[in-house]
Amino acid sequence: MGAGAAVGEALKSLRRNGLMSAASVATVAVSLFILSVFLLAALNLDNLARTIESQLEVRLYLAEGLDDAALEDLRSRLLALSGVTEVLFVSKEQALNDLKEQLGDRYSHLLEGVEEMNPLRDSFRVFTLGPAWVDSVAAAAAELDGVENVGYTHDLVQRLLRLTNALRLGGLTLVGLMVLATVLVISNTVRLTILARSEEIYIMRLVGATDWFIRWPFLLEGMFLGIAGALVAGVVAWQGYSWAVGWVYRSIPFMPVVPVYPLAWRLGLVLVAVGGVVGALGSLLSMRRFLRA
Amino acid sequence: MIEFYNVDMTYPNGTTALRGVTLSVAKGEFLFVVGPSGAGKSTLVRLIYRDLVPTSGFVFVNGVNLAKLRPKTVPYLRRHIGVVFQDFKLLPRKTAYENVAFAMRAVGASAREISRRVPATFELVGLAGKEDAYPSELSGGEQQRVALARAIANHPLVLVADEPTGNLDPATSRGILQLLFEINRRGTTVLMATHAKALVDSARRRVVALDRGRIVRDAERGTYEALRA
Ligand SMILES: Nc1ncnc2c1ncn2[C@@H]1O[C@H](COP(=O)(O)OP(=O)(O)OP(=O)(O)O)[C@@H](O)[C@H]1O
Ligand SMILES: [Mg+2]
Repeated sequence: MGAGAAVGEALKSLRRNGLMSAASVATVAVSLFILSVFLLAALNLDNLARTIESQLEVRLYLAEGLDDAALEDLRSRLLALSGVTEVLFVSKEQALNDLKEQLGDRYSHLLEGVEEMNPLRDSFRVFTLGPAWVDSVAAAAAELDGVENVGYTHDLVQRLLRLTNALRLGGLTLVGLMVLATVLVISNTVRLTILARSEEIYIMRLVGATDWFIRWPFLLEGMFLGIAGALVAGVVAWQGYSWAVGWVYRSIPFMPVVPVYPLAWRLGLVLVAVGGVVGALGSLLSMRRFLRA
Repeated sequence: MIEFYNVDMTYPNGTTALRGVTLSVAKGEFLFVVGPSGAGKSTLVRLIYRDLVPTSGFVFVNGVNLAKLRPKTVPYLRRHIGVVFQDFKLLPRKTAYENVAFAMRAVGASAREISRRVPATFELVGLAGKEDAYPSELSGGEQQRVALARAIANHPLVLVADEPTGNLDPATSRGILQLLFEINRRGTTVLMATHAKALVDSARRRVVALDRGRIVRDAERGTYEALRA
């Protein structure tokens, strides 16, 4: 049969099996929604890990009284170290200002009197290609003339890295398990709608329908069920995530979150793809036992 | 048109349903297959439309050895064979019209051909006006007429009917039988398995009797039971 006829056949059948279809769509929607929650959580964990890692830097406190030429010389040596991407100079005046700002109005009185004699040092903030480079850069920088002190704790960095890797691994594992569960739920749902109609398949075969003539409408039906479920799940996940992101911005402002857009569109695409493909494959597989002549 | 050569049929569970069945049905013939319950009538019918493959022996339909048919070509065989059952086997979620149109679309008939031929077929089976009813809205006799319409919509060479009147009252049964005669008159070979003694006796057509898987009688213008000598 032509593609148009097959689509029409599938839609008609979905409509006439109304209750069964609605139940299947709901089941698919729930499982895809749960998958979305895990996916969004995993993406945010990864984002958090990335943010933490990107804030890893080596702080070099400099000896007093270096002149401009010495500073320039030091900067170029630092940039020559492998793994270094950027070097920022922070004067001790600026450091004090930053500190004041961080403390805010409530605590700035703590600094009263300190300002005259500024106990802070000039420093370089050294950024690297990634956390893996931090160790070696810190060690090499400590050897350079003019560097008095390296503000960097090996243990802390390692602990942070362990944390971020654990976050990623946990997120990935959960998403993997959820994908598996979702595939099982969707294909099983589709399987049930087909089992309920094995008689229909038998009759189609009796009148001389070829296997593909029988398969197409069922395949499309499975695909439509999957996509309909995905659309419902996508809309709910999108609205829910928008709300959650708003809540986090208001309540925990310093917490990094992945912005709603374009994430929502991408998530929608993924859900529709998963729903459609798994629905179609699920119906193909469950028809196999009926179509061996 | 239909040939059985020394056919044995043993089901996977070990039950032997047919033993050494040899039978020849000419093109355009009409015959009844009778016999007590469990004699093997349904098995014989299923072998014809290749729902089953014989354990040994050969079945030919229209000159084709069914055992040699590849699974992929079975649908094309079935297009030459109309099948009717005791329980009608209509698709419950399709209207009467759609049940017939569907069978035509399955064999690749064009939309125009379908809209031309389905009404004529409904006319022939005496169901004009019932096209839009769902099977659940039709009586048993009417459902069997839809099933017949579906079976003949593609102008099959052979029509096999397994107890087509099994669920119907005597008057309705006679109507169905008349319809089968009419289909036969138009050139289709018809094989009908049945328990309906009165129908068989009044028809005086060829009767093949099965008992415990063997053909025990084959009579032109026969009756349901063997006539005492
Ligand atoms: N699918 C099957 N698996 C195993 N044995 C079967 C199967 N179908 C039928 N049989 C057995 O084969 C024998 C013949 O059965 P069949 O259905 O052909 O008889 P029948 O003449 O059609 O009977 P009835 O008049 O009751 O319909 C019986 O002993 C039956 O139990
Ligand atoms: Mg039977």
